[in-house]
Amino acid sequence: MLNYNTSIKQDKIYSDLEIKEIKPIMKLIIRGKTKDFITTIGKNLNMILPIEPNTSTAGEALTALWLSPDEWMLISNKTISEETNTYEVEDNLIKNISKTKLGAITDVSDQFVLINIKGNKVFDLFATGSPFNFNEFKNKKGSVTQTILSHIDVIIHLTEINNVNLFVRRSFSEHLHSWLNDSASRL
Amino acid sequence: MSKNLRVKSSKFIDETTNVSFKFNGKTYYGFKGDTLASALLSNDVHLVGRSFKYHRPRGIMTAGSEEPNAMVQINDNTALTEPNVRATEIEIYDGLEASSQNCWPSVNFDIGGVNNFLSPLLPAGFYYKTFMWPASFWEKYEYVIRHSAGLGKSPKEPDPDIYDHRYIHCDVLVIGAGITGIMAAKTAAKNNLKTLLLDEKNELGGSTIYQDSDHVKINNQSSSTWLENEITELEELNNLEIKTRTSVAAYHGYNYLLARENLTDHLSKNDAQNKIRQRLLKIRAKKVIVATGSLERPMVFNNNDRPGIMLSSAVKKYADYYGVATGQKNIFFTNNDTAYESAISLNNKGIKVEAIVDIRKNPNSEFTKGAENLGIKIYRNYTIVDTHGYKKLNKISIMELSKDGQSFANSNIITLDCDCLGMAGGWTPAVHLFTQSGGKLKFRDEDQVFIPNKYPSDQISVGSCNGDFELDEIINNTSKSLKKFLNINGTDFDNLDVQCPKDKEIRNIWLFPSNKVLGKTKPFVDYQNDATAKDIKLALREGFKSIEHVKRYTTTGMGTDQGKLGNMHALGIIADTAGIKVGELGTTTFRPPYTPLTFGTMVGRNVGEYFDAFRRTPMNDWHIENKAEFENVGQWKRAWYYPKDDETMHDAVQRESKAARDSAGILDASTLGKIDIQGTDASEFLNRVYTNAWSKLAIGKCRYGLMLNEDGMVYDDGVTTRLDENHYIMTTTTGGAANVLSKLEDYLQTEWPELDVYLSSVTDHYATASICGPNSKKILNKIIPDLDLSDENFPHMSFKNAKIDNIKCRVMRISFTGEHSYEINVQANFGKSLWEKCMEAGQEFKIMPYGTETMHLLRAEKGFIIVGQDTDGTMTPIDLQMDWIVSKKKYDFIGKRSLYRSDTMKEDRKQLVGLLTDNPSEVLEEGAQIVTNTNATPVEMLGHVTSSYYSPNLNKSIALAVVRGGKNMMGQKLIIAMENKNINVTIVDPVFFDKENVRLNA
Repeated sequence: MLNYNTSIKQDKIYSDLEIKEIKPIMKLIIRGKTKDFITTIGKNLNMILPIEPNTSTAGEALTALWLSPDEWMLISNKTISEETNTYEVEDNLIKNISKTKLGAITDVSDQFVLINIKGNKVFDLFATGSPFNFNEFKNKKGSVTQTILSHIDVIIHLTEINNVNLFVRRSFSEHLHSWLNDSASRL
Repeated sequence: MSKNLRVKSSKFIDETTNVSFKFNGKTYYGFKGDTLASALLSNDVHLVGRSFKYHRPRGIMTAGSEEPNAMVQINDNTALTEPNVRATEIEIYDGLEASSQNCWPSVNFDIGGVNNFLSPLLPAGFYYKTFMWPASFWEKYEYVIRHSAGLGKSPKEPDPDIYDHRYIHCDVLVIGAGITGIMAAKTAAKNNLKTLLLDEKNELGGSTIYQDSDHVKINNQSSSTWLENEITELEELNNLEIKTRTSVAAYHGYNYLLARENLTDHLSKNDAQNKIRQRLLKIRAKKVIVATGSLERPMVFNNNDRPGIMLSSAVKKYADYYGVATGQKNIFFTNNDTAYESAISLNNKGIKVEAIVDIRKNPNSEFTKGAENLGIKIYRNYTIVDTHGYKKLNKISIMELSKDGQSFANSNIITLDCDCLGMAGGWTPAVHLFTQSGGKLKFRDEDQVFIPNKYPSDQISVGSCNGDFELDEIINNTSKSLKKFLNINGTDFDNLDVQCPKDKEIRNIWLFPSNKVLGKTKPFVDYQNDATAKDIKLALREGFKSIEHVKRYTTTGMGTDQGKLGNMHALGIIADTAGIKVGELGTTTFRPPYTPLTFGTMVGRNVGEYFDAFRRTPMNDWHIENKAEFENVGQWKRAWYYPKDDETMHDAVQRESKAARDSAGILDASTLGKIDIQGTDASEFLNRVYTNAWSKLAIGKCRYGLMLNEDGMVYDDGVTTRLDENHYIMTTTTGGAANVLSKLEDYLQTEWPELDVYLSSVTDHYATASICGPNSKKILNKIIPDLDLSDENFPHMSFKNAKIDNIKCRVMRISFTGEHSYEINVQANFGKSLWEKCMEAGQEFKIMPYGTETMHLLRAEKGFIIVGQDTDGTMTPIDLQMDWIVSKKKYDFIGKRSLYRSDTMKEDRKQLVGLLTDNPSEVLEEGAQIVTNTNATPVEMLGHVTSSYYSPNLNKSIALAVVRGGKNMMGQKLIIAMENKNINVTIVDPVFFDKENVRLNA
C-alpha cells in the first residue's frame, strides 16, 4: 500500500490567525470554451460555472473557481480518501467532456496544496508579501484571485469573511508555509 | 560640567522619564521624547562632528531630516552599529551610545583638522586635478584616498535586526501631517475614502502644533489649540490609518510610493528585541496629496558653519517643542519675518535674544513691531561678514549693506557677542517627492521659489510645499484644492476665521558680500560636502555651465542630505554669476530616497532561508534522511549525490554510476516540467512547436522532441507521450518548465487561437522515480507484478497506465542514461512511499540512489545533451548533430525558417563533438577553451568544453564540446589551453557508450 504524505508538517495557531492544511482534496482543472461545454458541466455537476472573473460558485459537493475565461478549478468541498486517487467526478467529466471533445479535464489534486488560513489578521498576513489589493476582495465572499505571495504563485479563495483557502504548488508549499508562519509570528 | 539648558516644560516630551545615553563616551541625560540633538543641546553640547573635507568643527543646525552636520555613529563596535544617523531624528532611549564621525582621535582634537589650514590647496576638483600624474602612482593615491573616504563606519557583522515589507492600497495617501496634511486626511476620510496619513516625525501637527504666537489665530483660538482639536477628531475616523515615524522615501510613477516605517529605533535594546525594526511600505494610492511643507534656508556668508549657527526655525523648535535653549546670547540673521517670530517666542520663555540682523531696509509687520517692543536690537539693512569661535560660535561681525546688496554702505564693522545664531533665509518648498514622481516645476520670481507646475499623476501638493507660506493662504488654498481634487462640494475648513501677520518685504541675496576677497573666505553652500560659494564660482570659471556638471564637480548636493539646504543657493549663485535667471537654470534631479534607507529595510525578510523561494520534491525527506548533498537547479533543491562515510563527490559519483550500469540505479526525476496537453488539435500543436512530426505517434508511445526559438536555436527538449487520441503529456527541462509553458500559452493565445488545445501544468502533481539498469525490469515487476513488461507489450519509448495497490500511476519506458529504464509517475503525495517501495524492491539488486551529478555523467557517456549546458542559445539541431530530428516534410514549425538562413547553414558553425584526452585519466575543465595553435597571436579559439567527466564505465575521461566546424574534424588533434599546461585531445563521436543501444533495448 502506498502511503499518503503531504509536504506540510504541522498546523499552526497564532492569536487571531490559524494556518492549517486541508487534505486530501480533489482538484481538477476543467477547460473549455463553448456553450455546450458550460451546459454539459452544469448538467453533470449540478452547478453553474462562474463566468464573472475572479469569482466562484459552490454546489453541495463541489466548488468551482474561475481562473481564466476558459479555465476553472473544481475542488471537492470535503476531504476525500487517502487510499485512492480515483475520483468519480473526474471519470464522469472525462467521459462527458474530454471524450466528447468539449474540453479538457486534468487532475491537479496534488499539484496544489490547500492551506486554510482564518482569523482577523489574514489580510495583514498577506499584506506582508502580496502586492494584490485585497480591499474589495476581503469583503466579497467567494472571491478568487491568482497573485503572488512571497514571490510564489498562489490562488486565494475567500470562503468566508476572514477565512481563505490558499492553493500553492506543492513544491513551493513547504517554503511558503514556513514563510507564512514566520510572518504570522511577527504580526 | 555641562549646563542644563532646559528652560520650560513641554507637553511633547515626558519630563517624568529620565533617559540616560552616552555621547562620545560621556553619559548624559535627557527626557523621553527628546531627540539626540535636543538632549545634547539641553546639555549645552553643540559640537557634534567634523566636516567631511576640511574637518571643521560642526554643530547641530536643524531640527529635522534636512540636517547636514549632526550625523553620528550609533552603537559603534556592535553588530547594530549604524553610521550617518541624524541626531535631529533619532529619539534617545536608555542605553543609546552615539559618537561623532569623521574625526580622530576625538571630535575636540581632530588631526584631520589640518585640512582646514590646507584648504587653499584643496579646491573643487582637487582629486581630478591632483591625482592624474604620474599615472603609475594611481594605486598608491587610491589606497590613501580610500582610507579617508566615506562618512562613518559600516557594520562588519550581519545585521541582527528584523525588517519587513508591507503592501498598502489606499484611495488617498497624504504625505506629511502638518496643518495641511491634517486638513487633507480629515477631508478625504470623511468623504468615505480609505486614507493613509504618513509623517516622518513621532507627533502629528508639523510646526503649527507648537506655534504659540498671539498673532496667529484660527477661529479665535491659537493655531496650535485649533490643530490639536482637529487631530483629536482624526482619531475617530474609521477610514483613516495614521503612521508616524514614517518617511516617504520614493515617489515613483503611477502613484507607487515607498515609505520607511520606523518601529523600534526609539526603543531600548530590551524593548526592541524580537520586534520588527523597520518596515518598508509599498504603497499604491489612487490619489496622493503631498503636504511635505518647506525647508528653511540657511544664508551663505563667511564662516557660516560654526557650531552654534542654526536655522531660526530650529532654534524655535528646540525652545517651543523640546523646551531647550540653544543659546544664552541669541542673535537672528534674517531676510524675512520668521526670525522675528522665533525671537519673540524665545523672549517669552526667558531666553535672551541680543539682536536681529535683517538684510531688509524697512521690515514692518506685527512681528517686527513685536520684537522691537520687547527691546530686541534690530540691525536693518545689515549683513554678517564673519563669525568667530573655533569650536563654538562666540562673536559675529556685521556691516551695513549697500543699496544693491552686493557691497557695503560703509566700512564700519560691528562686532556682536553671541553663542547661537539663527539664520532665516526664507523657505524652500519641499518639492522633492513631487519631482521624483515626474512632476515639473516652475520658478516664482517674486519670492525665488520652485513650486509644482505640472502633475504627472493623480496628485496635488498643498500648503507650503506648494508655495503657500502665510497661514490664511495655506488654509484657504488647501481647502479649495481639496474640493477640486476630491470632487467634493465643501470641507470643514471653508469658513475659518484666520488671523496672521503678513510678511510685507522680501529681499533675497544668495551670497552675501564679504569684506575679504572671496578666496579668503569660507561661505559654505553644502555643509555636508564642504562645498563653498567659491568652489561653485571656480567651477563656472573652469567652464562648467550645466547645473548637473557643477553639482558633480563641486559635489554640491551629493551628500546623504542631497543638498536639502544648499541646492537653492548653489542655483542662485550660479545664476547671479552667469547673469541668468534661476528659473532658466532649472534644478538638479531629486532622486530617491528622500532620506537614506537601511539595506535591511529594502531587503525586508528576504534574507537567509527566505532569500529565494525553494522547491522540494515529494521524495525530499528521504534524500535528507539518507544524507544527500543538494544542488540548486533553478529554484529546485535536487539530490546531487549521496556520499557514504567520508566519500568525496567524485568517489560517490563513480560508485553511483557504476552501480546504475551494473545492476540498478534510482533517480528522483520529479523536477522535470510536465505539461498536460489536451484538445482535438493537440497533435497539430506539437507539430508546430517541435521540430519532428507527431501526428503519427501511436497512442501509448513516447517521442523525444526538440523545441526551437524562432531564431532556430534549441530552446528546450523532452519526451512527450501520447496518452490518448487528443491527450499528450509533455516533459520539459527542469529549469525551462515555466518558460516553456508560458511560451506555448503565448503562441496559443496570440498566434494560433484557432487551435483547440488546452495546456495545464502538472509538474507538481506527479512524483517521478526513474529506475535504470539491467535489473530495472525485475524491480518494476516486483512493484507492479500484474504489468506485462515484455518488450512486445511494453517496448522502449512507450507507456502504460498501471496501479500500485489502489493508486493509479503511469509508467514510461524511457531512458536518459542509455540503460533499460522505467519512469514511474505517481500522484505527488504518494511519491515518497513509491520511492521507498522501489528501494525495498531493489534491495536484492543493490539498487543505488543516484543524484544529478551521476545522471549527468551517465547521459554524457551516451552523448545526450543537456539544454543549457551543452547549448547556449546559439546552437541549432544541426549544430548538435541532431539533423535526424528535424522534419523536412512538415510545412512549418517554430524556428524552421531560421534553419535555412545562410548563417545557420554554414559548415563552420560551432558543432557538438566528443573529446578524448590523450591521457585517459586527465579530466578537462568545463568551459575550457579549445585551440589548434597556442603560438599564434591572437590565439584562435575554436570552441569550448561543455561537459566533462571521468567515466568509470569506460575507465577514461570523456567530454562533450562545441568546436567550430567540428563535425568534419573527427579524429583531429586539438589543444585545451590551460593556465599551466596544454592538454592534447582528439575529436571523436559524441556517443561514447553503447552506440548500438543494445542496453537500452535489453
